[in-house]
Amino acid sequence: MSEHPVMDPRVAPPFPEAALPVLRNAQLRKNVAHATDVIQGKRNRLVTEKTDWSELRDAASALRAHTLEHLGEYLEQFEERCTGAGGVVHWAADAEEARAIILAILREEEADQVIKIKTMTSAEIQLNPFLAQHGIEPHETDLAEIILQLGGGEPSHIVVPALHVNRSQVREIFARAMGLAVLSDDPQTLTAAARTYLRQKFLTVPTAISGANFLIAETGGAAIVESEGNGRMCLTLPRTMITLAGIEKVIPRFSDLEVMLQVLARSATGERMNPYTSLWTGVTPGDGPQRFHVVLLDNGRSAMLRREVERQTLKCIRCGACMNTCPVYRQTGGHAYGSVYPGPIGAILTPQLQKLEHAQTLPYASSLCGACYDVCPVKINIPEVLIDLRAQVTEKERASERRFFDPIYLGMVVANWVFANSGRFRLAQRAARIGLWLFTRKDGWIHSLPGVGGRWTMTRDLRGIPKQTFREWWEKRGKERAQ
Amino acid sequence: MTAGSRRRMLDQIRAGLSGITGKRAADYADLPRTYKQHGSMSVAAKLALMVERLVEYDAEVVECAESALVATIAAQIAASGRRVLVAPSGLPRQWLVPDVNWRVDHELLHEQIEEAEGVVTASFCGVAESGTIVLHHSPTEGRRVLTLLPDWHLCVLRASDVVETLPEYFARCPVPPRLATYISGPSATADIEMTRIKGVHGPRFLSVILVRDEA
Repeated sequence: MSEHPVMDPRVAPPFPEAALPVLRNAQLRKNVAHATDVIQGKRNRLVTEKTDWSELRDAASALRAHTLEHLGEYLEQFEERCTGAGGVVHWAADAEEARAIILAILREEEADQVIKIKTMTSAEIQLNPFLAQHGIEPHETDLAEIILQLGGGEPSHIVVPALHVNRSQVREIFARAMGLAVLSDDPQTLTAAARTYLRQKFLTVPTAISGANFLIAETGGAAIVESEGNGRMCLTLPRTMITLAGIEKVIPRFSDLEVMLQVLARSATGERMNPYTSLWTGVTPGDGPQRFHVVLLDNGRSAMLRREVERQTLKCIRCGACMNTCPVYRQTGGHAYGSVYPGPIGAILTPQLQKLEHAQTLPYASSLCGACYDVCPVKINIPEVLIDLRAQVTEKERASERRFFDPIYLGMVVANWVFANSGRFRLAQRAARIGLWLFTRKDGWIHSLPGVGGRWTMTRDLRGIPKQTFREWWEKRGKERAQ
Repeated sequence: MTAGSRRRMLDQIRAGLSGITGKRAADYADLPRTYKQHGSMSVAAKLALMVERLVEYDAEVVECAESALVATIAAQIAASGRRVLVAPSGLPRQWLVPDVNWRVDHELLHEQIEEAEGVVTASFCGVAESGTIVLHHSPTEGRRVLTLLPDWHLCVLRASDVVETLPEYFARCPVPPRLATYISGPSATADIEMTRIKGVHGPRFLSVILVRDEA
């Protein structure tokens, strides 16, 4: 945690650069490997045990695809039913508007503090710093989020955001922020300290902000899945509740949860069911918050509906299974992605939310091995989207003025010219044989190249050019036979 | 400002979707639903699975006959050593066993619920496959806050209300509930070094009385 990671894709360094400090941090890599191994192991056991897993995946995938193709109708239906149940529905075209809507509600409530259930969407619109600037103190209540908030850290996974922080670091953070002089680093004790610290907040702060796992068009209700019970606290105790949710979160009917809940818990935490699932519909007299607002956030999502290959990104239910299995994420953890959405899903979601103006290196942060597609509970073909986005990034670069200064671009132009003609190609082969001979060691491998070529040999060896090409061998063989 | 954004967002969504060519997603009625809808276990096996799952979550489970329910509630409370308990407004009167300082929920304040040592409720149903207890927050199950603040939840679950699969629960809800809580074990976290810790914010102790009401 020596260098503070930048999590705003508009200013974050390119992935290969951001990944370097993490790759040198042995402790961090160990933590990430351990956490992803544990979750993945549990997930795999439960998926193997579930005999109808592939049928559930088919159902979940088809349901999400259907919903997205009828998104307008389902959102309008949700709005109508939620309003009928006493909720207030707001529409936010972008992050700025969502923040303004939430601030206006909080001002009306005369709130100077707000308790929060972990929400990726709120991190996406960078709500916490905005609220703090406007004199409203946000309190995260998920254990991992509170570790990060009190310690000034950044999330590195969407389900277990503090997986990179170990127990002694948590002990230090809690001891300082909660004013506890004596505190052991036993996770049980640390969890108990958080329970006591937060109970007071739950009972006294009258305004809460949440995300939503699902919005139900049929009823106008919302659902949140969680493990700790901080969600139930925030959904039950305050006077006013604000739910911020991306427009893609809607599902058609209440009973569709029979599919979504079964795939979500198994994929996210490797449980048959998460400890607590809460469902609520607008306002219920005598039970829970008596004022309820939903903010529906677009922020680049509707632009992703146009093409099928991009639209499937919005099927995501944020389980995080793709990052646990990803050979790239498992080495770097989340911070290298420079976005609140890391891993394979982040590599396709972030550049699209940024309309490819930022985060152009993320589609390349993958070996295209396809492990993410195999585990995705809603069958998002992530490799397909990655390749599509790479093509779009390349198209953008081709149109850029700066391309003539880019050695890779110039190399490609030259390669294109050389490969187009067999004479030029043979000549180039001969030139390479002589040129690279200097760098070829006795073992037949090139271990290091100067200049741009060094970017290849920095991490891999290159086979030396053979003394003879196949074509030359064949021609020679023909001549020998003729003799 | 929101009215303008509403129009704009819906227009953009519709414009994006208007040009779909090629393969369309299935209509709602034609969505594939070939996953397991109905359980295949015997009643005894289903109940055994429910108990096994609950015990896996560190919940305490006792079984009793309908005729022994009140006595079992009294015994469980006595064994817990807890004296101040809250009860939902609609809890059957005979469940309010003696030797307990009952706080029946007639608009109890959060502080009064917080001070209680436990809560006794009925439940809507149980799902054996995942060991889930379902509350719909009816008058016998209580407002959501009742089963949240006290540290111990004693929950009565009837054997006839235990289903094997999650879809079977949904089939029991022709009208969707306005409020619902699905509980699969006491609250837990693995946020510190993936070490599973029981009891973060919800009740740290869950006890279930499974009532065998079959003949």
